[in-house]
Amino acid sequence: MNYVLPILLIAVLVTGLVKRVNVYDGFVCGAKKSIDLSLSVFPYLAAVFVMVNALHASGADVYITKILAPPFSLLGIPQEVVQLILLRPFSGSGSLAILTDVYNTYGTDSYIGRCASVIMGSSETVFYVASVYFAGTKVRHTGWAIPIALACNLLGAVAACLLCRVL
Amino acid sequence: MNTVWTVITVVALAVLTVAQPQNVLKVCLDGCTQAVTTTISLMGIYCLWLGIFEVADRCRLVEGLAKCFAPLNRWLYGRVSRAAEQYISLNMASNMLGVGNAATPSAISAIRETEKGDTLSRSGAMLFVINASSIQLIPTTVIGLRASLGSAAPSDILLPNLIATALTSLCGVALVFCAYGRAR
Repeated sequence: MNYVLPILLIAVLVTGLVKRVNVYDGFVCGAKKSIDLSLSVFPYLAAVFVMVNALHASGADVYITKILAPPFSLLGIPQEVVQLILLRPFSGSGSLAILTDVYNTYGTDSYIGRCASVIMGSSETVFYVASVYFAGTKVRHTGWAIPIALACNLLGAVAACLLCRVL
Repeated sequence: MNTVWTVITVVALAVLTVAQPQNVLKVCLDGCTQAVTTTISLMGIYCLWLGIFEVADRCRLVEGLAKCFAPLNRWLYGRVSRAAEQYISLNMASNMLGVGNAATPSAISAIRETEKGDTLSRSGAMLFVINASSIQLIPTTVIGLRASLGSAAPSDILLPNLIATALTSLCGVALVFCAYGRAR
């Protein structure tokens, strides 16, 4: 697996040489676009990070976790990982911190630890991805896209808790 | 996004103001600073991949990739412009190789091609859902963290993780078909 990407990179550059394309010019030209792209994403990132920071610092997330623990347990999700599931759509670094917390409290190889690992691996930071993807477009109504993505995250969590019991 | 962001931020800031008013400004500023550092590191990632993509494009490699993916893409996304087709193929290839870093710039470029109005189209929704629930072959970050915290079998979660991500991807695609119907 470690060789896939390096070989791919070299293969692209070598193909350029063989086809007598100006590889250097091409790379520079593409790299230049990265500035515009990341700058157009920047204000949206700022908005998301301010929201996540405020949410986490206020302790509101812990409170919401307490309220939502009973319905989640009906789905077979242990209450110890509910906070991870709730914060995951908003923040990658935040949920990684919670994951570390779970590992330190319950151990990496415990059922809770394994559950949390699979939940983390099978979900995405939906709101973060949405803000980055739709930055720079005129899209204001995202319709079903975000609800579907959130539903997938939840399904992933339910499946994770189930699979870790069996496997 | 407007409602979600405003409601959550207002509630969180109100709670924070009651609990610890001296920290409100610090918390907000920290968020903005994080955005600056993240943007800089994203710029580096985009720089590498957009550079490589441009070279691949000039070698007509992207065109070939788009041809390989054409049947799958037609079924998933329907009829989209040629440029969008190529970006989507790059995105699918990056996702399959597990290079999340490279998937983002190609997805953003694809969305900019397909979305011209103010309501998200079916193709855009599909692209978003596939990326937000993408199959991850090896969750490197999680395995690394497990190993560093002394797990006896850090990669023990590979199989359940693979099944769970495959399930979420399938379900995501199915839900887009339910909500938007078949691709035209």
